Amino acid sequence: MMAEGQHQSAVAGTGGGHIPRQPGDGVNRQPRVSLRNIQKNFGSHQALRGVDLDIYPGECLGLVGDNAAGKSTLTKIISGTYIPDGGSIAIDGQEVRLTGPADARKRNIEMVFQDLSLCDHIDVVGNLFLGRELTKGPFLDRPRMVAEARSMLDALEIRIPRLGAKVEKLSGGQRQAIAIARAASFNPKVLIMDEPTSALAVAEVEAVLSLINRVKARGVSVILITHRLQDLFRACDRIAVMYEGTKVAERDIGNTDLQDLVQLIVGGQKH
Amino acid sequence: MTAYTERAAGSPIADFLSEHAQVLSIAVFFVACLIFFSVTTDTFLTLGNILNVIRQAAPILVVAVAMTLVIITGGIDLSVGSQVALVNAVAAMILALGYPWPVVVLGMLAFGALLGMAQGWFVAYQGIPAFIVTLAGLSILRGFALYLTQGYSIPIKDVPGFFAIGRGELLSIPVPALIALGVALLGYGVIAYTKYGRQVVAVGSSLEAARRVGMPSKWIVASVYMISGIASALAGLLIAARLGSGSSNAAVGFELQVIAAVVLGGTSLMGGRGSILGTVLGTLTIAVIGNGLILMHISPFFTQIVTGAIILVAIWLNTKIFTTNFRFGGKKVRG
Repeated sequence: MMAEGQHQSAVAGTGGGHIPRQPGDGVNRQPRVSLRNIQKNFGSHQALRGVDLDIYPGECLGLVGDNAAGKSTLTKIISGTYIPDGGSIAIDGQEVRLTGPADARKRNIEMVFQDLSLCDHIDVVGNLFLGRELTKGPFLDRPRMVAEARSMLDALEIRIPRLGAKVEKLSGGQRQAIAIARAASFNPKVLIMDEPTSALAVAEVEAVLSLINRVKARGVSVILITHRLQDLFRACDRIAVMYEGTKVAERDIGNTDLQDLVQLIVGGQKH
Repeated sequence: MTAYTERAAGSPIADFLSEHAQVLSIAVFFVACLIFFSVTTDTFLTLGNILNVIRQAAPILVVAVAMTLVIITGGIDLSVGSQVALVNAVAAMILALGYPWPVVVLGMLAFGALLGMAQGWFVAYQGIPAFIVTLAGLSILRGFALYLTQGYSIPIKDVPGFFAIGRGELLSIPVPALIALGVALLGYGVIAYTKYGRQVVAVGSSLEAARRVGMPSKWIVASVYMISGIASALAGLLIAARLGSGSSNAAVGFELQVIAAVVLGGTSLMGGRGSILGTVLGTLTIAVIGNGLILMHISPFFTQIVTGAIILVAIWLNTKIFTTNFRFGGKKVRG
């Protein structure tokens, strides 16, 4: 059942593997993920009120908005964590109904969650391979996982001295780095990052931004949620602005600036 | 000029000590108990008594290993004593009907799996707290055992093969102790080296994280109750084979001894962290204390007080002292 969990080389995902880049300029490009009229309610609360969004191969889409605008809910729908109440999702032109996180992972949709979704009582290696453990029969193939974990982290320039350390003993930045490495290292087609840089130091933020640009170059679609607006201008090609469960604007990065974005995020409120 | 240097890696010994603090502390406590009873009584440190202790501890250990898995997922199984009693009674009744004993043994293990799975379904798929489900199970299953036997003890006659499970010896070691040791080794191997064991720890550490990475989290939660049911059935068979009878009053208070053994061994009731080696030491410690107090001619009722006090102190240590910041020797590496 977990045959697809056996990856020949986890490192190929982070290094410079040769995947032909999609012709990115044509108007008739097919979106990698296409959302139409997505709705999601939590009880009486309308979290999403009909959102349309397209994400193309090889681009980074910045998703911004005020707190509780629906950014995290929208990305959790793409990653299969939430099932939408209405609307449709198409992946590479094919309409799909994601049945859960396992389904999304099988379709190479990976997500870095805001709360990181790490298991504190499991070591670094175990967390990197969580849900797709390398095995020999029923047994964990620990030597191979350790070796690949080391090269995964090296490829992202993440320094963690002891791979056998429990994740609960690591700093916030190291934990975030592990969550990012886990999502980025297994050849994702869509990589969703919810606040990936909030706990990171300067050098690590640079590493994440260069990682985004690297995977973009290989044709991966990246969705980036961040409150650090200056990061958007260094990694993103397009920016979608959410407000109260709807998408209120979309801007190409060349046609906008910080002032414009702030105005869009706070909405009609005059200051 | 500023020299950039790497921070030195912590000493591996210190890392080892802080990671295994709980197992080490119960090991020290166990050895202290051994020394204490060896000194205060003449009979404790005799081969006959030691064999007796491990023979009596065997059913507890079998269930405690399974209970360790349950508690690692953050759950609890209060119904194990009642499951033991029900299997104990039903096994005696079926043996009395003349069915061959190997069939009865396999049938009872399957029956235990069924009982555990039923409870696991309520816990995992219906979202009812494990405490409530298994508390109901404690009452219902004991009730079934009483109803079926009408409270009488049912003798098992002339099944030497079956008795060998509870009374036999191999190389002068009691068979139940060997079975329990086998179960403990199996449990250790599963948690440390298998994918299933990793999934159990992941579910206990963070259920939502396990779900998000695509693990069958509900099935994993349900499955540990099934394992607990199988282990309870095995313990019920061991007790029936040792005593030569099946009784609905067997294993009263058994769940408390099992949970005490697991918690004493350093397994966290919050889930995620557990140790089979700790559970083995915890079980032996409780067995040795019970045995030693009797050899000291202290009232057997007193052992209950001691066992309860140990649970309280163990949980107290578990929550207060052995947090992630705990370090042996109090040496701070970071400033």
